[in-house]
Order: sequence, then C-alpha cells, then structure tokens
Amino acid sequence: MSSISIRDVRKTYSKSAAPAVDRLNIEIPKSDFLCLLGPSGCGKTTTLRMIAGLEHPTEGKIVVGDRTVVSVDEGIYVPAEDRDMGLVFQNYALWPHMTVAENVEFGLKLRKVPKPERDRIINDTLEKLAIARYRDRLPSQLSGGQQQRVALARMLALKPDVILLDEPLSNLDAKLRLEMRAELKRIHAEMGATIVFVTHDQWEAMTLATTIAVMSEGELQQLGTPDDIYERPANRFVAEFVGNLPINIVELQDNSTNPLSAWVHGMLADIRLTAPAGSVGIRPEHVRLVPVETSPRPATVIDIVPTGGSWIVELSADGEKFFAITPEPPGVAPGEQVGLSVPHESLHIFDAAGSRIEAVLQQTTGGKS
Amino acid sequence: MQGLGRSLYHLRVRNQDPTTLIGIVLVVLFGYLIAAPIFLLVTDAFVVQFADQGRAGQPMGELTWYYVERVFFSRISMDVFWRPLMHTALISVSAIAIALTVGVPLGWLMSRTDLPAKKWFSTALIVPYMLPSWTFALAWLTLFKNRTTGGSASWMESLGVTPPDWLAYGFLPITLILALHYTPFFILLFGNALRQFDSSLEDAARSIGAKRGTIARKIILPLMLPSLVSASTLIFAKCLGDFGVAYILGVPVGFDVLATSLFRAISTSQTGMSALLALTIVILGSVSIFIDMYLLRQARRFVVIGSKGSMNRTTALRGWRLPAFGFAMSIFLISAFIPLMALLLTTVMKVPGVFALSNFTLDYWIGTDVGTTALKQGILLTPEFWEVTWNTLWIVGSAALGAGFLGLLVGYVVARTEAKSVATFLRQVTFLPYLVPGIAFAAAYLSMFAVPRGPLPALYGTPIILVLAILADQMPFASRAGISGMMQLGRDPEDAARSVGAGFIRRLTSVVVPIQKGALVSGVMLPFISGIKGLSLVVVLAVPGTEVLTTYALRLVDYGYSQASNAVVLMICVIAFGGTMLVQRLTKSNLSDGLGNK
Repeated sequence: MSSISIRDVRKTYSKSAAPAVDRLNIEIPKSDFLCLLGPSGCGKTTTLRMIAGLEHPTEGKIVVGDRTVVSVDEGIYVPAEDRDMGLVFQNYALWPHMTVAENVEFGLKLRKVPKPERDRIINDTLEKLAIARYRDRLPSQLSGGQQQRVALARMLALKPDVILLDEPLSNLDAKLRLEMRAELKRIHAEMGATIVFVTHDQWEAMTLATTIAVMSEGELQQLGTPDDIYERPANRFVAEFVGNLPINIVELQDNSTNPLSAWVHGMLADIRLTAPAGSVGIRPEHVRLVPVETSPRPATVIDIVPTGGSWIVELSADGEKFFAITPEPPGVAPGEQVGLSVPHESLHIFDAAGSRIEAVLQQTTGGKS
Repeated sequence: MQGLGRSLYHLRVRNQDPTTLIGIVLVVLFGYLIAAPIFLLVTDAFVVQFADQGRAGQPMGELTWYYVERVFFSRISMDVFWRPLMHTALISVSAIAIALTVGVPLGWLMSRTDLPAKKWFSTALIVPYMLPSWTFALAWLTLFKNRTTGGSASWMESLGVTPPDWLAYGFLPITLILALHYTPFFILLFGNALRQFDSSLEDAARSIGAKRGTIARKIILPLMLPSLVSASTLIFAKCLGDFGVAYILGVPVGFDVLATSLFRAISTSQTGMSALLALTIVILGSVSIFIDMYLLRQARRFVVIGSKGSMNRTTALRGWRLPAFGFAMSIFLISAFIPLMALLLTTVMKVPGVFALSNFTLDYWIGTDVGTTALKQGILLTPEFWEVTWNTLWIVGSAALGAGFLGLLVGYVVARTEAKSVATFLRQVTFLPYLVPGIAFAAAYLSMFAVPRGPLPALYGTPIILVLAILADQMPFASRAGISGMMQLGRDPEDAARSVGAGFIRRLTSVVVPIQKGALVSGVMLPFISGIKGLSLVVVLAVPGTEVLTTYALRLVDYGYSQASNAVVLMICVIAFGGTMLVQRLTKSNLSDGLGNK
C-alpha cells in the first residue's frame, strides 16, 4: 500500500496555451480513497494520467510510496508500463480481440506468472466480480455493466497497490451505478489499496471518497473530506459546484437599495467577520419558509417540485431566483407570498475574491431573523 | 545540475517509446521513395540533359527553358503535346458524358427502385471497374480490328466485313471503352448519394405542394450535384493517366494521347521532354483532384446525410420493370459479358468468330504444336508464362505486403507522435502518388533510379525498382487505411496495455496489429489487386527479365499473338475479380467505400 505525493506539478500542452494543471500539491495517504472532482476540462483526468504515467508533467514531481516515478528537476521518468498501477478507463478499453479471460490473463502473462497460477487468479477474480460464466466471450458480446466488471477484473488480477479510475461509473445506468459503487467500496475495504478516481459527478464523489480534491481550471480548489467540502466550501466555486441543487448566492452591494442584499447585510450585522464580505451562499435546505408577516424577506412561490420525500420550492425574491428544499409539504401554492428565514450559522460567507471568510458569531444578539 | 536533470527528463520522456524515431525513419524512407523522384522529375524538366547539350546550346546541368519551348512552342509541339492534349480532353469529356448518361439512370435504378435482381446487378455492373481497362481494349481488337495490325483476324473480319479504321481504332473505341470502364463511378457515387438522401426532404417538398418534376429538379438534383461532380473529376483524372487503352487502340493509327506521347518520349530516352510531359500530366491531374476535394468540402456544408430516421423510399417501376431490367442487362452484356466472352472464346477458337465445332480447340491453352514461330505451345505449357506469373506474384506481393505494413506504421505514427511536423509530412508525402498518374510516376522513378544514387546502384532493370515503384504508388491507399484505422482505434486499448505493463513491441504485436487485422488485410490485398492490374507504371519500368503479367500480355499483343495475350489477360481478370470478391467477403466492405483510391 503506497501513499502518493504530488508536488508542484504543472502541465502545459503547448507553450501558448494556459496550463492544463498548475501548482498542484496533493498528499494522498496510503489506503486513502481520493476523488478528483471538477467540471470537464478542469485538469482532473490529466492529473490521473500523470500519476499513471500516460502524460508527463512539465514541472514538478510525483512520488508513489518511496519511489519517485517522475521528477522533472532530477531527470526521473518511469514509463507507464513500469509503474505497476491499476488503471480503469472511462470507456473500459477492453481489448476487442481477446476474450474476457484473455483480457485478464494478458497482464499476468507479462509478469511471467506460471499457467496454473494464472488460471487460478483469473477464476478467482472473475468469480468475485460475478462474471465467471462470460470468460470465453468477446467484449463485444457483453453489456456495458459486464464490460465494466471485466475492466475491473483485468486491473484487480494484478493486485496493484495503487488503483486509478477514470470516471468508472459514468457510462452505467442508475441501477448498475449503485451496484458498482458498492463493489468499489468493497474492493477498497478488502484490498486496502490507495484509490484515486476521477469524476465530474459530485454525488459519486460524496458517496465514495474518503477525501475529495475539487479542481477548477487546472488548480486545486479544496482538499478535504466530503463533509468538509459540503459544509465548509473553501470558495464560491466549490460551494456552487457541490450540492444537488445549486446553492443560492446573494451578491452584496455596499450602499445599494437591493432588498435581497440589504436583508443579508442585516443578518451579517450580528456577525464579526475577519474580512469584508462580497457574497453569501445559502444552501436550499437551510432556507425555511415562514409566514410572510414574521419575516423581513418576502418572496413569491413560482413552482413546487415534489422529488419523493422532499419538496423543491422555486421562489422569486426581487426578481432573483431562490431555491428552498423542505422535508415536508411546504403548504403553499404557486403565486403565494412566503417569508424567508435562514439561520445565521448556515451562511457561507465569501470575500470579494470568492474565498471563504471565517465568521465569529456574536452571542449577544444571536437568534434568527 | 538542475539543467542536466531537465534535459535528462525530456530525453527520457521522448524516448519512452520509439514512435517518433520510427516516424523519422519513415520520413527518410518516403522522402527517398516518393518525394525525391518527383522532385527530380521537376528538375529534369528544367535543366539541360546530356543528350541535348548541342541542341539546347547550353552545357549539361544548366537551367533551361529549352524543354518548355520544345514541348509547348516548337514545330513538334503540335505532335508531342497539343494534339495529344486535345485528344485527351476530347476523350475525357466524351467518356464522362457517356458514363453520366448511362451511370446516373443505373445508379437510380440500383438505389431507389424495385429493379429485379438488384443485388446481382450491384456486383455485375461493377465488374468492368474491377478489371483492368485495357482488357476491354483487347476485347475490342478481338471483335473489330482490321488488317492495319497483324495477327489473327477479328470476328468481324471472319464474318466477311472489314471494319473501317474509325471503328477499329482511335477516338471512338477509346472513348467508349473508358466510358464503360468508369461508368461504375457514377453508379456507385450517385447511387450512394441517393441512398443516403433523406426521403423526408422529398416529403417536406411534397407537403407544400411541389410536383414530382419540381422536386427532382429543385431538391434532389442540387443535393446530388457533388456526387456527380466528384465522379466526373475522378474519371477525368483517371483518363488522363490511362495508358493501356490508348496504347492498344490509338498507337496503331498514330492517335496519341498525353500518356502515350509521354511513353514515346520515355522509350526514346528523351529525359527532359518526358519529365516535362509527365509534369504537365501531374499538374492537370492534381488540379482536377484538388477541384474535387474543394467541391466535396463545399458540399459537406449542406449535404444532409441520412439521420437515423432517414428512409429511402423505393419507387415501384410497375410497367417499366421489364424495360429497366433490359436496360441494366444490356449494359452488363456490353460492358462486361460480351468483351470477356469474346476474349475467352478467342482463346479456344482456331479462326476467331467462326462457330463450328471443328473450329474449337484448347491448343492455345494446353496444345503442344500451335504452329506459330515463337509461341509453339499453349500458354499454360509455356515456361515463360509461369516465370512471368511467378514474377508478378512475388513482385506485386512483396510491394503490397510492404505497402500494407508501412501504411499501418504510418497510421500509427500519424496518430501517436507528438512531433506534429513528422505526422503532417508523412500524411502528405504518402498522398502524393495519388496526384501522379502511373506513367508519370514511372517517369519519375526513371529519373531517380536509372543512375546510381548515393549508396544505391542503378536499379533500372532489376525487379527491385518495380517493387519500390508499386509500393510507393500504392501508399496513398495503404496509408489512408492505416491512418483511419489507428484514428478509430484511439489510444485507450494501448494505454490499457501500458498500464498492465506491456512495452512498445509487446503493445504493437499483441494489441495494435491484432486489432487492426482487418485494416491490414485490406491494406495488403487491395494494393495487391491494383498492382496485378496495373499496366502504366510497370510498362515503363519492366525489362524482359522482370516482366509481369500485364507487360507480358502487352508484348504478346505487339507480337500479334492475340490468343495467347487474351489468355494472359483472362488470368489477370480471374485474379483481380477473385481477389476483389475475397476482400469484400473478408472485410465485409464494399468496393464503393474505397472508390477514388488507386
């Protein structure tokens, strides 16, 4: 089991273009399940491929366990085929001319594992992933979910210390995704391997990872546990990217008459900030709907969407869209006026540049508005 | 220290696999085999050659306009250039017109109607294109030649009528044969375009009240135009380089086209003249092909390729089914069946065209005393025939194998290398022979390899020059097959192999080549068939010791042994037809997919 250390890594594809990955530093402890999360083009797949050795960094160093696999300054570069990592591709990349068993066997052959041992490993692995009966089929004769399992089997048969997964669930339907998710968790628990996986799907990241690294435009935005990422987003990008329903953002204008901004300003008056606030984020589940007389902030209900167990209420406050989620039927109808109420402690406060500001609540006034 | 580390790093990254190194080797190889000969052809046309020092009044090797003047403006320019050019233009235009008139209705019948035996016709009507064009020239001679050329009498003569020269030779038969040979271009390209045409466009027009005629004129025709233009320019480019038909049917009556004029210049060792003539053909050919590429690119803007829901509706011919069938059948009879039967029957008849049982014989195939001076026994008993067949198989075979594998390598490098300039150069240089008609390419090869170059001795007269020339000539197809195969494959299967520990050689042999098996088979087989059929390239480069079937057949024609030459030609047809069918079966592809390739 190996830790992975990514140090000051930069990758540019051409001299003129913006770097695909820049100033990247991540320490992944051994047996961690790290997720690289971000929108497409954020550099997450490039990072994964650099760990795998399929791309080479322009600057920086990557150390796996106690082995430096790449270091630009020291002139070290271990090619992908000598890194002994397990890699699973988004489109599975099974070899179309080999049967399921042959796909799994290929890597074992390269490692000169003797034939009886090879057969035992192939059987065990296929058995474990419940695809033993397809062993003599070609990949084209398998469904997407089965192909995915073969790709996993091919990788697991080699018992790698480090497992790299590139959007492994994105081509599966909802039910298979749940199944594979459980499978990945089981593999992680059983093997204790260090897993790095890439996804743009925050649900996948939240449910699988022990650590999430959120990336945007080639740079690391935040590294933390799923709870950290959700509860304490380091900046507006993370706050907006993570969350099933988009977070409500209120831009604060200093001396404006904008009622929404004025309302939030009013709430911030009770809070001591370490820096001037530029905007505030409010998660929909923290928005409470109260009778319009009891709240300084009225809003109009536009639509109510039941999602089974909870209700999404789409609101309009002074022309701005605002979302709330309620665990019970909201008891209002479209067109009606409601009041908004938000607990102070659930405000995410960002400075003008979008970075999180730590707030100290002043106990003197407290309460809710 | 840090700088050293960095250089070491870049060195290691670059050398993690030898793709770029292979790319550079390929660049040198094709620079030598393709770019250099064509470059030499260009220079040969503008510097004084040894034999012309006196007439040009300049020492050898000096820049000169002598050849330009001689070809375009001198007293002989009419004979060597302008008249052949006129003939070539007339023949191409007429051939295109005839092919269009015949091919467009056939294309429509094959793609949009309930023509009986459509599936059978879809192969039968393409047969002329699978066989070498000059096969049909020989068939024509068999049927219509007169005493202007020697050898046994034609069928028409045997029937007591002496065909006049205008029927037997020259413009009329050349045009007709080229037209029928290239009619499949229209059938395939136009037919395919119609097949991809979305009927909902017609429905939309009909729903707003357009009449059938209006729809055909205003909707279908404009969208079909690209395919028609494409077929026309391709036929023009092919006619420009077609040597065999004009040689067999034109030369006996002094009817020259550009290709035969060039051949005469080559065979009389006029290096400078032939270089300039070849260059002219190359330029004309390139211009037409670039026009075609430009128009296709323009057309792609509005071509509506059938969406998933596109239907191609079948028009019921009703009472016209029989006449339509008769039309298609008669085209098949004229363009394939009758010529081939004529060739075949000639080889089993003592006196051509006389249908009496006593007149039939197998002597020309397996007889021992035919009674002629040189070829005393049937062709199958002639050792020379077997030598030539063996020559053909190994020369063309190794060229095709080489082209197929090099094509795959080119594809690999183009798809993988990070050195973009290497990829671009390889892509372009391997396409270059496509612009050069075979006879001009042969002239380029003479310029290059008739004298010792660098470490290589003069290759003219050896089989190696044939292997190299055929290989280079087939590269446009082979490299295109390789490139598209590798592009489709993508990087992932190989990256996956790397991740389980496979090195470069292992990836190539265990992953890339097996996956590309299909592309490789067609990348070898199609050049093989095309090489077996090819005449214009080898006719210049082959010498008596290195003859192949096509040049052998042509020599037999020159000697007047029609039965023997027909027999050889039939053997070529069998190989070409059988090979084409085999490839189609193996790769489940269609000939039309590869149309426009050499």
